[in-house]
This record gives sequence, structure tokens and C-alpha cells, in this order.
Amino acid sequence: MKSSLHKWLFFGLVATLFVLLPFLTPYHSLATEMLIFAIFAVGYDIIFGYAGLLSFGHAIFFGIGAYGTGLVLVRLVPSLFLALVIAIGISLLVSSIIAFLSIRIRGIYFVMITLAFCQMFYFIAFKWKGLTGGDNGFHGVPRTSFGPINLNSEITFYFFILAIFCLSVLLAFRIVRSPFGRVLRALKENEDRARSVGYNTTRFKTIAFMISAFFASLAGGLYAVHSNFVPLDTLSINMSGDVVIMALLGGIGTLYGPILGAMLIVYLKNLLSNWIGNWNLILGAIFIISVLTMRQGVFPVIFSKLKEKL
Amino acid sequence: MKTMLLALAVLFLLTSTVLAADPVRVGFISVLSGPLAPIGKSELNATQMAVEDYGPVLGQKVQLFPKDHNYNPGLANERAKELYEKDNVDAIVACSNSAAALAVSDQADRHKRLFMSTSAGTTDLIGKNRYTFKMNYNDFMLANTVGRWGAKNLGKRWYTITSDYAWGHDLLKHFTNALKEEGGTHVGNDMVPVNTSDYSPYILKAARAKPDVLVLLNVGKDAVNSTKAAVEYGLGKSVKIVHALLFELDIKGAGLETFAGDYTAAPWNWVVNQPGSREWADKYYKAHGDRPTFMAAAAYDATWQYLDAVKRANSQDPDKVIKALEGHTFKNFFTNPGYIRPEDHLEMTNAFLLRVKQPDQVKEKEDYFEVVGTLAAGKAQPPVGLFKTLK
Amino acid sequence: MGFSRRSSRREDLGKTRGRACRPPGIWIMEIQFIGAQLFNGLMLGSFYVLLSLGLSIIFGMLGVVNFAHGALYMLGAYAAYSVCTLCSLNFWLALIIAPLVVGIIGMITESTLIKRLYPFPHFFNLLLTFGLMLFIEEGIRVLFSPIGKPFNTPVALVGSTDLGFMLFPKYRIFIILVTAFCAVGIWLFLTKTKLGSIIRAGTDDSEMVSALGINISKTFTLVFGIGAALAGLAGVLAAPVQNVTPEMGNAILTETFVVVIIGGMGSILGSILGGLIIGELVTLGVVFWPPVANTLIYVFMAIILLVRPRGFFGRAKFFE
Repeated sequence: MKSSLHKWLFFGLVATLFVLLPFLTPYHSLATEMLIFAIFAVGYDIIFGYAGLLSFGHAIFFGIGAYGTGLVLVRLVPSLFLALVIAIGISLLVSSIIAFLSIRIRGIYFVMITLAFCQMFYFIAFKWKGLTGGDNGFHGVPRTSFGPINLNSEITFYFFILAIFCLSVLLAFRIVRSPFGRVLRALKENEDRARSVGYNTTRFKTIAFMISAFFASLAGGLYAVHSNFVPLDTLSINMSGDVVIMALLGGIGTLYGPILGAMLIVYLKNLLSNWIGNWNLILGAIFIISVLTMRQGVFPVIFSKLKEKL
Repeated sequence: MKTMLLALAVLFLLTSTVLAADPVRVGFISVLSGPLAPIGKSELNATQMAVEDYGPVLGQKVQLFPKDHNYNPGLANERAKELYEKDNVDAIVACSNSAAALAVSDQADRHKRLFMSTSAGTTDLIGKNRYTFKMNYNDFMLANTVGRWGAKNLGKRWYTITSDYAWGHDLLKHFTNALKEEGGTHVGNDMVPVNTSDYSPYILKAARAKPDVLVLLNVGKDAVNSTKAAVEYGLGKSVKIVHALLFELDIKGAGLETFAGDYTAAPWNWVVNQPGSREWADKYYKAHGDRPTFMAAAAYDATWQYLDAVKRANSQDPDKVIKALEGHTFKNFFTNPGYIRPEDHLEMTNAFLLRVKQPDQVKEKEDYFEVVGTLAAGKAQPPVGLFKTLK
Repeated sequence: MGFSRRSSRREDLGKTRGRACRPPGIWIMEIQFIGAQLFNGLMLGSFYVLLSLGLSIIFGMLGVVNFAHGALYMLGAYAAYSVCTLCSLNFWLALIIAPLVVGIIGMITESTLIKRLYPFPHFFNLLLTFGLMLFIEEGIRVLFSPIGKPFNTPVALVGSTDLGFMLFPKYRIFIILVTAFCAVGIWLFLTKTKLGSIIRAGTDDSEMVSALGINISKTFTLVFGIGAALAGLAGVLAAPVQNVTPEMGNAILTETFVVVIIGGMGSILGSILGGLIIGELVTLGVVFWPPVANTLIYVFMAIILLVRPRGFFGRAKFFE
């Protein structure tokens, strides 16, 4: 009885924090950005934390989501819902092709090929100026209304994103708790054993890859509308690296870890880069220490220490 | 007694409204970290100088909010949002990197505040929206100046090496047009990725085409590397080299011998013979230890123009300030004469043709350039309507 | 534009074949041009060879994908700068000191940090080196400056030599010669010395080697040091030709990965041949087909990964 009360208090606290977040950050848009990257990271946890595949190419899907949404809103129809659907659809298609080509490759080579694909997409977007604006980026993404809701105010937009964020996180939890999620964890631990029991591990990994691409492109689309602008570096290896760092630091395989990791890093980046120019030094150091000593991630370690105390 | 109390009350109300009025807030975004930091820092120095020199506006000290965008358009976009939303600035100045400037311009339009763009060169900023003012130079002006003057004075066969990104493409387009109009021949072009270190393949190609003039449409490290390669392969002697943008910083880094005899264009340089130029450059030198680039001078000018417009309009209201800026004519150390065109918010700066001195001609520190020609704003700048116009 | 001019020239040459020959001057210019570009490709290939040799033996023996390899290359250039400009010593000393310094840094890094992650899945060390790359790059920005440093060609090697059919800068020939010397040296070391045979055995099966009682841990450290030293050497050689900036290692790192994958992880021959081939491909791609020159090598890498992941000379074992 007492533990369920604790649980409700905990959830209540978390919910209040999220509701108050835009007022706690230096400016409202920062809170929105924190949630957008949290969506990106929670989807990435599914492929990295649960399926055990390190992809250095997830910026591809973030970028497709962003450019796709922007292009539909500006060139086709100013409907946010339709733009997101189309952009996510394209991203799922591309991810299925990439997965078809590369999922069978194991170990380090998978990392390398995702890196190669990321570079390729970056260069394509760079050259195809007519479509993407090249290195100028894609400008003029409007903040159209979502049905009756006018999204021009940063506060309204934040709560809109918060709603999508909650749905995304719920979806991620459902996926991970499902039988599908259990198979993923099994094949992460020992793929040969899972295969010998009869699971088509390639198919499972492909679906996990596509699911993570879904989250990435959703985040990308929201990012385009949030910034009214899609810079070229949404497709860069730096962006791919960022989500890896967010997930790993936060704690892979936990879902809440990458969420908190993403929010923390976006917040810190903004806070510190205003004061210190060499933010990467601190990030690099934290990352190194985390990989060496806190391989489960910063938050799981903190929480388990707190649990011991409480 | 009653009247005195009344007078006191009125006085109190008046002073409190004046005190309650917001001070003028100016935001600044540019590259303050990374390899291009010296340029951004010089712009910030100049902006701070302008704020100090101008003094209080509307009875209060002007507040400056500098932000670093690390030459990244996405970051610039966020900083602009932060400045307009959190710091509540009335105007943003500077912002290098054309993609970044375009993003800031969009944010200015969304938030209905001003943007005085100085360091980015893209002509897409001309007449983009009523809140954006294109100050300082632009790609058309550079390419046009260099193309026209060069075709008349340096030779008719031109080979270009272009940095392969939006800015380079923009310059190339305007440059080839200018060259064609002056009857020159464009014998070849190479698109080179930004930050390429080894320009030898391209220099070899250029040499093979036997041009009179080699035009380097690049900046910074790319300008240095391409010039080094040209000198390495002996091209510097047989062919005249022209740069789109060249700063004292680059010359200092690579050595004067590499660049001696090269040409470039700029809206200003600290050696130009304009009233006030030398004094301002000396003042900057005394405060910061090196000579200001034209980017710094432009930042000073843009900040000054904005503050002066607020004073003339007697208000921070963006619409009133815009009206005060449009059609304003002035003379200062940077632009003499100067004019802000109301049709597209373009500052009509004049162009100077500069040549890098030989080592034995240098008389003082950073005295690298000499003026060899001028082109008035009317000829150098684009005519109204060539790019976007407002209204 | 140069491309279209060339093709018209080719058509012209084809037409006149039956009749009087074209003046030899045109042929000489073509040979000079292509020859110069091919030599440039060799120079670029030399850097790839040095870098991929190091990356390859580190992966082969330690199983570590060293994302920090580009940073080590950059450290080599900065070490050379420090030796030459700050300590006012000459370039020849820098050529020896800088790789040693980077090699030692490599060995220290391996024995203090990388070693700890051997018991865990490979990608942890990959991520560790990724973090090291960020840290080292930013650290150099703080220590020196973000702008980059000038570095001039050593006086003895300034200018061009006449190779008979064309002129070529002396320093670039020097780079090619030094690389060839090193490649031969490494090959001799690995095939003719006892330590070399341990390393080769360890590359094949490190568990077996340690079961034989050989202190594999020290060998691991040494191998990482050698790989780092090779990267540092590439950095020193690059300093006069490339920009000495904190970012100089980034682009060349991804290109080196391409070389190692195509040549085969863990294969010496693969690194050498792969490096030279990719060097030529990139240079000629830039000359003849500029729009896709960058993407071309990644497409090539993707094709290799899909068709023959072990690369041309790699061992099947690494296809895990």
C-alpha cells in the first residue's frame, strides 16, 4: 500500500515537473527542444538498448523527418498532420531499405555501414539544393495549426509537443514490454541462441530498426516546425553521434535513461555554451568517464544509489 | 499646497514612466568560437565600441546581448529565438554565415523585430522582409566589382575556383554575369568542398586552361590553401590572382609573400582615404591590438545606424525605427556617402579595389593592402529590382 | 567546364588519327597533367596508407575501432608544430620526436583507459575512443587556439624537381618516399622479427597467444603505440601540406575507415593497396567527376560492405 502511494507521488511529481518545465528553463522553446530530442532518444533506445545494434546513421531519419515535413508544409499542403504522416512514411521506407541491405551484417561493420549511409545522405542533401536548400538549409517552415489548435505561441506549442511526447513514451513502453520486446532482449543477449530457437532474428532486428526510425523522423518533423527551419546538419554524423551520446549517458536499455539523457544534454548544451566556448571538452570528459565507470548510464546509477538510501 | 502636491504627483508619474520604459536592447550573434572566432570577436568589439560611443538612447544606457553561434545555422536560429523571446531584444546585429543569417531573418519576421545583417553576404537577404536590413557588403557587390574592374584592368581570360556551398555558388553566378557583360571569357571553374587542404589538383587544372586571371571564390583557410598551392606550382607569377574575400588575418597566418600582388574587393579597409577612417582604425587598434576588418567596421556602422534611427524615431517601436532607417542618408568613416534604400533595405556601400603589398612596401603593422581603384555604390551595388523588393 | 573541353579534344584527336598526327605539345600537356594528378593521388594515398596501417593493426590485434585515430593524426601535426615553432628545432627532429610523442600518448591511453573495456562488447571501446576524439580535439582548441597554426615546408624541400616529363614539388615526393620506407619497415618488422610474429599471431587469435604464456597485455599496448605513432607520423608529414587545425583529423578519419574496410580490417597488404587505390580514386574523382567525388568513396564502401564485408584482403573471421 505504501509503495503504491510512493509510486503515485513519484508520478505526480514527474508530471508536475513536465507541466512546469517551460517556466523552469531560461526560455520556453528550450523545453520544447528537450522533449523533441527525448522522443528521438527513446526511439533510439529500442534499436541500441534493446536490440543491441549501434547505429551511427540515425540522423538520416531525423533529417528525412525534418526535411519531409518542411517540404510538405511549404510545397504541398499546410497540414501538420499530413506532413508528419508523409515524412514518417518516407522514413519508414528508407529505413526498410537500409535495414534490408545492412541488418545481416554484424558487429563493427554494421556501425561502419550506417556511418557510410549517413555521409551519403548528407552529401545528397548538400548537392540537391533545389529540394533541400543545400547548406543554406530549408527555410520558411510554417507553424500551421493542428486542427483547431493554434500553435504560434511557444507555450501552446510546448503542450502540444508534451502530448505527443507522452504518447510516444507510452508507445515505446508498450513495444518494449510486449513479446516483441522480449525477443529483442533475447537476441541482444545471444543472437545465435535466439535463432536456434526458431526466431527470424533478421526480421526482428529490421522491425526494431524501423521503429527507431519512426521515432527519429517524428522528432525530426517536430523539430522542423519548432525551428521554422531545417539546417543541413540534421543529417550530419554529428547529429547521429549526439543521439548515441544522449542514449548512452542516460542509460541504454531503460527507456527513461535516454529520455533524461537527451533532456539533460540539450539543456546543458544551451546553458554551458553561453558561458563556456569549449562545451565539447566537458561533454567528451563526461562521456569517457561514463563509458568507463557507469556503463549502465548516469541515471540508472543515480537511481540505484538513491534506492539504496531510501 | 494642493497644487504643489499635484505637481509632485505629476512629476512622480512622469519620471516613473520614463524609468519604467525599457532600455534599448541590442542582440548580437556571430561566430565567437572555432577557427573563425577572430572575425566574430572583432565584430563584437566594434559593436561594443559603437554602443559605448553612441551613449545613452532614449535616456537610458543601451544593453548589449552577445551570443555565439559557432558558425552553425541551427544554433543561430535558436540564439535568435532566445534573444527575441528571453532577452526581448529590439534588434539583432551581425550574424556571419549566410544560412544562419537567413534563419535569423526569418525569426526577425516572426517576432516582428529588426535584424541588421552585416557579415553574411547572400543576396537572398536583400528585400527579404521589412524587418531585415542588409548592411555592409553583399555577394553581388563583391563579384560585380571584381568582375567589372578586373576585366577592364587585369585581363580577359578568367578561371574560377569556387567553394562548393551556397555562398560560393552565389558569388560564381554574379561573377560570371559581370564578366560576360565586360566581354571577358570564363575559361573554367572548379567546385571545391569547403575546408579542402590540398588544392593542387585544381591548380593544375587551372594552369592547363591558361587564364590571365585566377579568381578564388573562397574565404579563410580555403583562400590560404588555394593561394599556397598556386604559388607552389608557380602560378602566382604568370597569372594574376583575385580573391573574393581576403583579410589581414589570412595574410598574417600564411605570410605576406604568399599573397603579395593579389587583388580583392571590399566595402572598406583601414587604409582607405576616407574622413575618419584612420582615426577609427587607430582607436580600435589601441583598444584591441590589431587592425579592424571591414566586418568589424560594418558592425560598428550597423549598430550606430540602428541606435541613431531609434533616436530619430524617438521610439523603439520597430515600425517607427524602420521608417527612420528607410531612405536615410549619412556620411561616416565606413560609408561616405551612405544611403539605406527604402525599396529593399539595402545599405548602398561603395567598393574599393585592393591589392596586397609587396613585403618591402609595408610600412607599419598590418599595412598589407593598398587601394588601386574604387567603384561607387551606384555602379557596384545591384539595381533596384534585381533582387527582391518590399511592398 | 574543364571536363567538357577535354572530351571535345578527345574527339578531335580521334578524327585526326588517320591523317597527320597532332603536334606533340598537346600530348605532353596531357601526360604532364594526368601524371601530376596521379602523383597527387600517390601523395594522398600515402597518408591513407600510414593511417590505415595503424587503424588496421589496432583493430586486428585489439579489436578496437579507434575513432580517435584522426585525433592522433592531428596530435602529430601539433607535436611537430610545437617542436619546430615553440622549441625552434628543425623539421627533421620533429619527424622523429612527434611520432614518438604520439606513440607514447597512445600507449598511455591504451594501458589506462582502453584496457579496462576489453572484457566488454567491442562497441564500448568504440564509444570510448569516440569520446576521446571529442575530448582531444577540444583540448587542443583550448591549449593552442581554435584558429590553427601555420606550418611551412622545410627549407630543404621547398621547390620542385624536374622528373623529366613534369615538375613535381619536392616535398610531396618526400612524403611518398617516407611512406614507402615505413610500409616496407613495418612489413619487415612483422614478418622477420619475433615480436612481429607474436603480433601477427595475436592478430589471428589473441587468446591462443596468451594461452601460450606470452604477455599479450604488453604487446597490446605496444601495438596501440605503433598504430598511434604511424598516425602521428602522417600528421607530421601533413603539417606543411594540410592545415594544422584541431579539426584536421575528422574528414580523414572517415576516409581512412573506408580504406580499411575496402582493404580489409587487420590486413597490412590491404591497408597499403587500399590506401593507394583510394588516394588515386579521390584525386582523379575530383579532377574528372567533381560533383560526386566525395560520395563516390562512401558508395564504394557500402558496396564492399554488402558484397564482401571482409574487404579485399581481410580475414573472414572479422565478419563476426
